[in-house]
Amino acid sequence: MVTPTIATENLTRRFGDLVAVEDVNLRVASGQFFGFLGPNGAGKSTTIKMLTGLLAPTAGRIQILGLDLVTNMVEVKRQIGVVPEGMALFGRLTGSEYLNFVGRMYGLDRETAAKRTSELLEFMQLVDQPKTMVTDYSHGMQKKLALAAAVIHGPKVLFLDEPFEGVDAIAAGTLKAMLQRMIARGATIFLTSHVLEIVERLCSHVGIIHRGRLVAQGSLEELRAGVEARAAVLPEAATSDGSPREKLTLEQIFLRIVGGSRAASQELSWLG
Amino acid sequence: MKQAELNPAGPNPAPQAPRQMAAVAELRWRIFVNSLHTFRGRLELASRIFVVIAFVAGGIGGAVGLGGAAWFLMLEENAEWLGALLWPVFLFWQLFPLMATAFTKNLESASLLRFPLSYRSYFLIRLAYGSLDPATTVASLWLLGITIGIGAARPRLLPWAAVVLVTFAMVNILLARMAFAWLERWLAQRRTREIMGVLFFLCILSLQLISPLVAFYGHKSNPETRLLGQEFSQVQRPLPPGLAAAAIARAAQGQHWPGRFYFLLLGLYGIAFLWLLNFRLRAEYHGENLSESARRKASPAELPAPHPGWNVPGLPGPVTAVFEKELRYLSRSGPMLFTLVVPLFMLVVFRSSGHNQDLFAHAPELTFPLGAAYSLLLLTNLSYNNFGADGSGVQFFFAAPVRFRQIMTGKNLAHAAIFALEVALVWLGTSLLYRPPSIRVTLATVAGILFALPIDLAAGNLFSIYSPTRVEAGVFGRQRASLTTVLASFGVRGALFSGGALMLWLSRHYGNSWIVVPLLLLPAVLACAAYALALNHIDGMALGHRENLISQLGR
Repeated sequence: MVTPTIATENLTRRFGDLVAVEDVNLRVASGQFFGFLGPNGAGKSTTIKMLTGLLAPTAGRIQILGLDLVTNMVEVKRQIGVVPEGMALFGRLTGSEYLNFVGRMYGLDRETAAKRTSELLEFMQLVDQPKTMVTDYSHGMQKKLALAAAVIHGPKVLFLDEPFEGVDAIAAGTLKAMLQRMIARGATIFLTSHVLEIVERLCSHVGIIHRGRLVAQGSLEELRAGVEARAAVLPEAATSDGSPREKLTLEQIFLRIVGGSRAASQELSWLG
Repeated sequence: MKQAELNPAGPNPAPQAPRQMAAVAELRWRIFVNSLHTFRGRLELASRIFVVIAFVAGGIGGAVGLGGAAWFLMLEENAEWLGALLWPVFLFWQLFPLMATAFTKNLESASLLRFPLSYRSYFLIRLAYGSLDPATTVASLWLLGITIGIGAARPRLLPWAAVVLVTFAMVNILLARMAFAWLERWLAQRRTREIMGVLFFLCILSLQLISPLVAFYGHKSNPETRLLGQEFSQVQRPLPPGLAAAAIARAAQGQHWPGRFYFLLLGLYGIAFLWLLNFRLRAEYHGENLSESARRKASPAELPAPHPGWNVPGLPGPVTAVFEKELRYLSRSGPMLFTLVVPLFMLVVFRSSGHNQDLFAHAPELTFPLGAAYSLLLLTNLSYNNFGADGSGVQFFFAAPVRFRQIMTGKNLAHAAIFALEVALVWLGTSLLYRPPSIRVTLATVAGILFALPIDLAAGNLFSIYSPTRVEAGVFGRQRASLTTVLASFGVRGALFSGGALMLWLSRHYGNSWIVVPLLLLPAVLACAAYALALNHIDGMALGHRENLISQLGR
């Protein structure tokens, strides 16, 4: 049996009485582009923070590339790249200085760090701001820089928390091109996003977390088949004329799994 | 689409200013109560209570002193000298909030603009909540003391003095609010912020020249000093403290119309400050754009040449990277750069106080060790809040494959390098301005540093993890380590300096000044061991507090 690249066992995180993540058993195989979805407050960011060592689990185990995260924290971190919530940038460095710094923190020698910095700045179209400090970058530029920093050491696994949030179409195109190159190189990508269209277009596999519990996991086809199979046993599922149903989009799958239809039918007393 | 279709229940009633102010007051109260749910919040409250007691004591003490002085001046028919009492009140009121930013916290009122506040409500909220600071409280107590002093000496003058001094208080409040509003505007952009930082720092430094000036003119004969006093009296008269004093003095002399005229001028100052404050707040209210991204000029695209980072022989790459990053950060912080000059500047100040009054003239051998100790004090905001300037970047340190002890080592080395540079500058300054410190004093000071610095850095590392505070570059009042950390650093430094003083006393007691070197070197070895021990445990501590660090600094 092949060891999954990311595996969790009964991963749980409590904040006082609140159970943010409960008994999550994730399996992400090597080379997968894995989209991690869930409504607001479902536990996505908490999970990704635990997977990257930014937050300690209350219970459960995490294995990345077959290594236990708690006992091999430094070794695991050496092989992963992270774009966390808030991007973790150092505002008073220039983009070039920041990437150089990150490269050296990941153990690259000075020359390699400098060379990759130049390439990354060019690829991310950040070369026209050589003297500008990161704090003066636009939001989209900061996202591109954060992604550049996450890949400078050539990680085998990439964790991205909302990489497309607040990014315009041009910057998003650059980010997607970078991620697809990574996948082509055999890397594994784990990303959270609220933009279901992007996840549907990019990701081969999806996990859905709801109220802290992992409620679905698999390829898009597997999820679609599961939802359709469940719908088939319900009397209202059949079309009136017996014609074949249209293929469900990820958004439809997501809403059916997390039960998002209730809000649409609700009314607010003062809005009518 | 009509409004009625959007809101079938009808339009909301217009928000009322008192309700909005009450809501803001409740918001502040909830924030305060919620902060008590954490240990850090409770510790901060304890520190704040301590500071409030100190301020109230200073306020009441000052009120008694100034009240007594006002009473004496009125009895002696020297009412025109009231200006000498009002000037310190004025300077304290205006300068203290700038100088003691660790003790003040401003309401982030600009964030209120997203609510349907009328301009009047916004103005009142800015004025009211911005004025609730220690300077207003203390200075108001002082003015109350002066009013009571005047009333005790000349009861019939009390109503007029009260009116003038209340107006003087209003002028001070308006001036302080106006100055802060304009400062915040200039601080909203990085470049103007850095220029303001340098100017502010120069102002603070220039205050140190007061003592040498007093010492210089103290040597002059009485007529010369009197002449200078008269000149100053003329210069200060058109300014608010001078006008307030003149308004009361003229009334005391029975010259009511000139008194009213000076009072009118004082009121005009208030109107001018009000107009300038209104001008600034109105621009804020109408959503002025201070974005720096929008002003950025596009430069021609070019592929930058690879530029390797620093190489420090003997240091691992990650430690060197952190060392380089820290120094780059510092090099871009104008005020921090200028703090390097402070110890030298203080030497010049003491030197220019005149030989007779010079503190070091009596004990010149103390110049170098005291200068070094002062340099250590300047490191507080760096070494006791290691991650303050990193903001959300602190997450990177937890995501990177690097031990926290390496990160701390890089930061500590950067701070130690700055300290070493400062000590070298102090040694050079001492040599040029006084005389070169003897080998014995130099060695004893170095031994003292070897004893104090490791303990100080170790304590700073712990407080950086346990009580981190994000350093906001653009807002006054959020520039420093937490109040708990500031007080704790005073405690640590007090203990360290007491230890050094004890060693000096022992060497004098035994009549052998050389003995202080081994006496300090022995604890220096222990201090280094304690530092290493603390550093070895720093990974566990940092991981244990990572959530607090990330949440406090990433806000």
